[in-house]
Parts: sequence; structure tokens; C-alpha cells
Amino acid sequence: MHEMSLVRALFRQADRVIAEHAASKITAVRVAVGPLAGVEPDLFASAFAVFTAQNFPHEIELVVDQVGLTADCPRCQQVVELVDFIFRCPRCGSAEVRVVGGDALELVSVTLTQNNLVGEAVT
Amino acid sequence: MSENYKTVVVRRDVLAEARVDAAVERARQTERGTLVVNLVSSPGAGKTSLLQATARHWSNRYSLAVLVGDLETDRDAQRLAPWMPAAQLTTGGACHLELPLVRRGLEALGDPIVDFLFIENVGNLVCPASHDLGEHLRVVMLAVTEGDDKPAKYPKMFRTSQCLVISKLDLLPHVPFSISAAEEDARRIQPELQFLALCSLNGDGIAEWCAFLESQRQRLLTPQLFHESA
Repeated sequence: MHEMSLVRALFRQADRVIAEHAASKITAVRVAVGPLAGVEPDLFASAFAVFTAQNFPHEIELVVDQVGLTADCPRCQQVVELVDFIFRCPRCGSAEVRVVGGDALELVSVTLTQNNLVGEAVT
Repeated sequence: MSENYKTVVVRRDVLAEARVDAAVERARQTERGTLVVNLVSSPGAGKTSLLQATARHWSNRYSLAVLVGDLETDRDAQRLAPWMPAAQLTTGGACHLELPLVRRGLEALGDPIVDFLFIENVGNLVCPASHDLGEHLRVVMLAVTEGDDKPAKYPKMFRTSQCLVISKLDLLPHVPFSISAAEEDARRIQPELQFLALCSLNGDGIAEWCAFLESQRQRLLTPQLFHESA
């Protein structure tokens, strides 16, 4: 159960976003978790709830996108989805695929708020 | 006054920074000629016994050091101390090692310049897979008593390793373990995985394992021939 240390790493990144945007607080966090991320989404959500309750005076919404394992196939010249951890292109069978998604816990976006903040939604 | 919301797209691996730190540490050890080996397995697969057998086989031919991760006690460090400088990293319940703890262990040993630095990770086939400790080589051990289904059940650990060591080979006749089934599953997950099978107690396969480590260090010390993207 290393989810708590991942939550800490996530907030180190998120804090930098706050600083860069001179915002006052985070209201929501969106992450993507793939099959090879080494993260159990429910455990991650529990760790997130504990961490935010301990460290923030307000609630922070968590959205977890579960994504597939994807790879770039140089032969097909496209991104393909790998299933059952078979590291071969499902189209051409090539083993030269390079994993491009689903093997990490990714911080997708951070929603910030601040009085008088001028910007609008970027996504 | 109304609040304004703004969503900033980051799209970054949460562990990206830790990975950069690990790459820096790896480069530092490369410069010093130290091959760093991160040994991972479930508890009881025989990591400590393998390190003892390795030191016995080499018999002072190389300088070695070890950092041993456990939740509690310094028993493994005590077992290894007669063979090489050993620092126990007690995680106090944490299920894996991270680089800052490894650095503290190195400091405790006086940051020695050695030929091989072993990091015996906390026994766990899940969490250590996500954490780069600045190693050159991740070796996953699987004892025949654990069952040959482990590569399929814990794909990330086998995917992120460069070598699979099947241990407790002397017990093979007594357990329903198929080396070829384990290898087939592991190869499906990581086609470039090296395979070794050994028994630390009777010494079978230890010479091959030591030769493998020597070849990996040789490769490390001639980087111009192998400058991949790493």
C-alpha cells in the first residue's frame, strides 16, 4: 500500500501549479490510472481522502480516470491498446511496441480557485 | 465577491520528479564505477541468502555494500554484516523503499565507493515496482515454493525488472512449479528479461549469477558502447 506516498508526490506537483498560477487553493484534482500504474484506484481514493482531510481546511474533489495500456507500434505507425499484458501489437504482432500510456499514475489536471482570478477554463 | 475556477492541464507522471532524482543518482554511481542492484521479491524468497552466497563465491574479489530494507528489525543487516558493510533501512511499516531513505542508508555507511551496491528491497511484489532507487539493474527473485503464476499476477514488477532469478531450486522436485510456465509468462510481460535459476544453500547456479553481475558491471563501465536512452 504505497498509495499514500503517491498522494504526497501528487500534491508536491499540485503545489507547484498553485504557485505558478498564483492561485489560492485547489478545489479538484484529476488523475489517470492505467493497468500498469501500480495503483489500486480505491486505495488511492482512500489515501487521498485521508491526506486532504489532514492537510486542507476544505474539501478537494478527486476524479480518477481509468485508462487502458497503450503502446506506440513503429510498424503500424499508430498507438494501439495492449490487452492482458501482452506486449505485442494486436494488429501486426510486432514485439517492438513502446508503452506510451497506462503505466504510470498521471496528474491530468488541477482545478484552482482564487478571488478575482481572470482566466477561464483551459480544458 | 464570486470565486473563479480555472482548470490547469498538467498531464505529468506523479513520480516524474522522483525519476529524475533517481537518474541523477544512477549517473553518480556510474561515474564511481558502482553497479547498483535493486533486489526485489516477496518476503522469504531468499534475497539475503543470495547475497550471502554471492559474497561467499566472490570471496573478497570485489568491494561490496548492501542496504537492507525491512519494516522492522535489523536482522538482515546482521546476517550480511560479516560479508559486507550493511546498513538496515527500517521503514517503520512502509511497504517499499524510496530514494531519500536509500540516501540516508548510504550516508550511514559513509557513502562508500564499491564495485557492487546491493539494495535489498522490502519483501513485496507490488509497491517496490513503482519506485526507481537509482539502480542500474532490477532483479526480481521468485522462489519455486511461491508458485509459477507470480509473473502473471504481478506484471508490473516483472515488467520493470531486467533479470528474473528463480530461487530454492533444490526444492523443485517437491513442489508443483513449472520453470517453463513462469518463464513463458514473464517473457510475455518483459521480452528482454534475463533468466537465472539457482540455489543459494547448495551453491547451484551461483557462479552463473555472479558472472551475470560481472558482465553487467563491465557493460556499465564501458558506457560509450552502450549509450542507450538511459
